[in-house]
Amino acid sequence: MEQNLLVEKLSLQAESFQEGFKLLTQSDSLKGIFKNFGNLLRTNLMITDLHLLHKVSPESDWKVIGSQNFDDADKKYLENNKQQTTYHDGGKYNASVVLPLTDYSYLGILMGSKLYEEGLSDFDKITLQILLQVFSSAYESFLNQKKEKQFIFDLNEKILQLNNLIDTGIDLAKFENQNILFEMALARMVSLTNSSSALIRVAEGNKEVAAQQVTFPPGLPADKILNSNYKIESSFEFRNTLYRFVLSEKESRKGVIEFGELDMMLLEAISRQVRTAIENNFLLKESLEKERIEKEMLLAASIQQKIIPEVLPVIEGYELAGENIPSREVGGDYYDCIDMGNGRYALIIADVAGKGIAAALLVNTLNASLYSYLQFNLPLTEMADRLNKLIYNASPPDKFITFFMAVLDSKSGELDVVNAGHNPILLLRKDGRLDKIDAGGIGLGMLDLGIPYEGQKLVMNPGDKLFLYTDGIPEAMDKDEIEYSDDRMIEFFIKNADKPAAEFISGIVGDVSKHVNGEPQSDDITSMILKRT
Amino acid sequence: MDGEFNLQTEKLENTFLIKTEGYINNTAGEKIAQFFAENPIKNAIFDLEKSKVINSIGISYLLEVIEQINDREGKIIFLNLDPSIEKTFKIMGLFQFSQMADSLDSAMKELA
Repeated sequence: MEQNLLVEKLSLQAESFQEGFKLLTQSDSLKGIFKNFGNLLRTNLMITDLHLLHKVSPESDWKVIGSQNFDDADKKYLENNKQQTTYHDGGKYNASVVLPLTDYSYLGILMGSKLYEEGLSDFDKITLQILLQVFSSAYESFLNQKKEKQFIFDLNEKILQLNNLIDTGIDLAKFENQNILFEMALARMVSLTNSSSALIRVAEGNKEVAAQQVTFPPGLPADKILNSNYKIESSFEFRNTLYRFVLSEKESRKGVIEFGELDMMLLEAISRQVRTAIENNFLLKESLEKERIEKEMLLAASIQQKIIPEVLPVIEGYELAGENIPSREVGGDYYDCIDMGNGRYALIIADVAGKGIAAALLVNTLNASLYSYLQFNLPLTEMADRLNKLIYNASPPDKFITFFMAVLDSKSGELDVVNAGHNPILLLRKDGRLDKIDAGGIGLGMLDLGIPYEGQKLVMNPGDKLFLYTDGIPEAMDKDEIEYSDDRMIEFFIKNADKPAAEFISGIVGDVSKHVNGEPQSDDITSMILKRT
Repeated sequence: MDGEFNLQTEKLENTFLIKTEGYINNTAGEKIAQFFAENPIKNAIFDLEKSKVINSIGISYLLEVIEQINDREGKIIFLNLDPSIEKTFKIMGLFQFSQMADSLDSAMKELA
């Protein structure tokens, strides 16, 4: 009869046990499942004095769960407990339980007085055993759920790491300045590796002092990262600059842990991406700079070409022709024949030391100054002196101009000449004599010592020929670096001087071209011939 | 500033507005978890405007908070997510049990 009553009561409680199992498995934490189990015990067994304890291994100490007024000395009820459940008659506790759990930890239960101060009945004892089994199963299920969640979390984390790594490569390639690049790289590094902080340190050459230092979180002192006991590093060198990457303190829910192999791989992968971004940015800047210089060169070339005469004046009783063939780089050759009025003409040939924009600008300065000075009919030597001062003040120390100028009185054939450091100008007389005109002084802008320029007066008679040229002709080289030479130029001049002026100029250009035989032209080639007919 | 994480909370009608500032990592996660342990609230709006970086430890704390709020049949809404954090949340599955809103107003309407 009593047995039947017991079975009936237990079957009535079956639903409550099922609810209890559900409640336990839905607990949000380990603490939660213990707390919920405590409540189950209290309600099912009407216990008012209940303490739950937990120890993670047989050797570790019992930790009290939730109870505020537990006497540590009572742990002895659990230490001496060899059996799972021990019932005590007349003691402080009605029962003590040590329940081995599936993760090799232990749950300790100390059950004191009941609500109406009764001892545990047989029904209570059976209920307790069932609840212990319910808890065991629920705890195992809870752990499995936790493991499953952790597994899904870990899997998602790996997907995230892979995704982040791909995104980082794309994002880093788009950076505009190095600071932004570093900030982005640091943010991705700490996020991917769960680091607390990170640093990128840039130092030039072997210098200890950092040229640039960026930390994450921003504002964190670099020393705090560098002096950390838990750190990993990666570095690379690019153009004599060392880029050092440091990650500090890998986080876990249990505190700081050691970095793993995967963290090192991720750190190296991102530092490689940073290197690629820096290299690409450098190459892009270099290519843009090259493009900019090429544009400037084209501009300079167009400036230079504008001051080279398209058509030379026609001088009565004379034949005049000239040509300028600029090299690929903008050079500094210049020639002109300026009509000064009253049958007077200024013939100029000049060569700026060096090439490029600076040379082109200097030629421009010379051209503008010449036009200005020629209005005042200054003596040629004084004009050379003034030009020297002007160019000296307007140009850097390594820039100067070799310059030859002759003012021709076309009626009388008188030539007033000055040669400021230019190659000797050749005057071939009708009778075959060759005069080399080199009277003058130093190149314009070379020095400003007040040394006066020396002029020379000559007369061009009918049949005389004046040949002006720049060093681009005699110094033109073939593939064996053999120059065209002064001798070959003079020989060509003597042999071909009787040809029409334009034909002579194209002829000497052709002869130089034949000599270099396709080698790139390294200097401007400029020549002009004046023949008195 | 030395990179310290800050948490600001404000009660708004039937919810809490939680504003974070700084790296959402373990330290930040503990602060967030502590707030929710001390305030078992039903609904929450997280404004992450001033947090641009999060790690997986920080995410694990947020997942726990989301679970707690779901158990209470409440709602959790995120605001002002940096695109990289939004992508992270998608991959880590946070939006299965939480939402994202364009503004505080729309978040409040969602919770009304």
